[in-house]
Amino acid sequence: MVRENNTGKIILFLLPMMVLYILFFLFPLLYNLSLSYQEWNGITKPSFVGWENYKNLLKDEIFLKSVKNNLLWALVNGFIQVPLAAGVAFILARQPRFWKSLRVIYFLPKVISGVAIAMMWRAIYNPSYGVLNAFLGIFGNEPVNWLGQIGTALPAVMFQEVVYIGYFMIIILASVMSIPVSLYEAAQIDGANVFQQEMNITIPMVKTTLITAITLAMAYGMRHFEATFLMTNGGPAHSTTVMGLLLYNKMAAFNYGEATATGTILIIMGTLVIIVMRRLFRDNDNASVSQ
Amino acid sequence: MKKGLIFVLFVVLISSFAFAGGQQEQGEVTIKWPSIWVGKDSKAPAVAALVQQFNEENAGSIKVEVEEQPNYDGYREKIRTSIAAKIIPDFFTINPSPTSLAYYDSDGILDFNEVMDADWKAMYNEGTIAQATHKGMLKSLPYEVAITPVWYNKALFDKAGASIPSNWSEMQDVMAKLKAAGIIPTSQMTGGSNAWTSMLWYSHFVASLGGPSAWDKPLSDPIYVKAAEMLLELYSDGNTSIDAIGGDAGVSGGHFLAGETAMFINGPWYIGRVKNDAPEVYANTMVDSAPAAGSNAGAQIGFLQTNLIAADLRESDPAKHEAIVAFTKWMSAPDNVARISKEAGSMFAIKFDSAMIDDPLQKSFIEAANSAAFTNKHLAGVFKAEVVSEFGQALGKMALGDATPAEFVEMLDKANK
Repeated sequence: MVRENNTGKIILFLLPMMVLYILFFLFPLLYNLSLSYQEWNGITKPSFVGWENYKNLLKDEIFLKSVKNNLLWALVNGFIQVPLAAGVAFILARQPRFWKSLRVIYFLPKVISGVAIAMMWRAIYNPSYGVLNAFLGIFGNEPVNWLGQIGTALPAVMFQEVVYIGYFMIIILASVMSIPVSLYEAAQIDGANVFQQEMNITIPMVKTTLITAITLAMAYGMRHFEATFLMTNGGPAHSTTVMGLLLYNKMAAFNYGEATATGTILIIMGTLVIIVMRRLFRDNDNASVSQ
Repeated sequence: MKKGLIFVLFVVLISSFAFAGGQQEQGEVTIKWPSIWVGKDSKAPAVAALVQQFNEENAGSIKVEVEEQPNYDGYREKIRTSIAAKIIPDFFTINPSPTSLAYYDSDGILDFNEVMDADWKAMYNEGTIAQATHKGMLKSLPYEVAITPVWYNKALFDKAGASIPSNWSEMQDVMAKLKAAGIIPTSQMTGGSNAWTSMLWYSHFVASLGGPSAWDKPLSDPIYVKAAEMLLELYSDGNTSIDAIGGDAGVSGGHFLAGETAMFINGPWYIGRVKNDAPEVYANTMVDSAPAAGSNAGAQIGFLQTNLIAADLRESDPAKHEAIVAFTKWMSAPDNVARISKEAGSMFAIKFDSAMIDDPLQKSFIEAANSAAFTNKHLAGVFKAEVVSEFGQALGKMALGDATPAEFVEMLDKANK
């Protein structure tokens, strides 16, 4: 086969996206980085302050709390939400009755506005008229202020996000459905039960998809903002605060220096999470290959 | 032939551009106003009517286009980013605060000192122009002012056999009576961007404990801890609703509107809401100063609520500049201000004939303002945004028993530094 020299064409096709990427990602990223070394209220001329903004953040208990919460979000999304999604995908891939309807039902919340979902959960958690307390009241439980107590607020916000598995379920389901049926038939003949089939056929076959889903879920956890902003605004007592919210509040206070420093740390941490995840699973891959 | 056709098309195209440009130059000037006074805002109908009338009276020369911004946080975000990007809206409003004073550093905002004569300035109530002046500049014009007295639901007080408390000891007795009658004494909230209702209660206590110059005292002064102890008591033993911690303005206002809480704090702009959504509560509401927490009784929390701002287009677009000034004068005209006040219940920095106000609750607001022993700002009008946003978080922590009143004040002090 004669290999054509397509370099020129490839560059031509990639160029528009590369220009957009530079304009709307790399340039803002570098600008963000440069602002993080300055003190700026967004109106007057910025002044260079070196590492001061970063030092202030690292001394700030609220910032450290937000980092911890973001890491928790990443772990919960990656290691609770994705396994739940995988479990449902494995079941639906076996095409039980109404599996197509169930697939749509599970995915439906993903197409609904996050604001509407957050507002709905605020109503569910409301201590006075919320359906959750009403339900628990049947069993004689006292009303609980789910979003107003330090011990319950963060789990409550996390639960309303983790329970919507539709996005990852669809990704994993598509991957599971592409596994040849003959593999399962062969396993059945060999006497493997459903659990053994899932463990020894499905999971190894969709491993790459699972890793991608976990990485994506953790990245979403690192940048989490919307539901916390709408449901608790970081409270009570900063117990649910996240870096995105801190960044937003610093911008609202015209503290663009610390806001961009927060943004930079957020980007670095997000990148680190992805690198760690890739390295972790790559090492596992290598280990399994050498075995 | 083909070349000739292309030439003709080219000429037509160029002339159409030139004609369009000429039309824009000679046509009416358009003022764009991103406005929060839309939708369900109580001022929306009166403001819309005034804009429409202005447009009709200036048809062909000036047109005001309102860009609807029904969400407060979204609106503030838009204004802030627009100014940071040096794309100043033609005309807009701000809630004056130490943080929004940063706008005064913008070159693109009009200093009203440059366009206002003595007659125009004389239209304003004493001291309001001075309050809006910063570094010698008047880059925002006082418009809506407010006092935030305590709203008392008399029907609930009667039901509990209680009378309006005049001091803290009476307040404690009243709360006990209300609870005994199954009534929640106060509306509170730690949520939202500034824990508005509770922040106002705290401001009342600070004013009463510290007097007219209370906010001049540093946060290390004992009055702040004492006021925090009182606020904590309002959060304790069922003195507020279960959802106050984490609750927002919808929670604190909602309980009062539902006739569940006996005491609530807000400004006159809320009159329209109570009147429309809870007529029974409206009929039973009276406003008065908060019970004296210290030796200074009869204080009110009063402040500039909304100021008008305009882009400085004197050099870049003199025609639009003139149009903006004309519109600012229109919106500030005493008769027009009176129209908004009458319909929405708002109070203004501009003097107008209050005899036309027939709403009893609105009248009592004016009486409360006139009879105030002294008027102090609220916490959000004194401290920077970091302290204001920390207030709700620190309050939540204190109300949950994770911080003492002294630690609550320490958290504010830390945010202030």
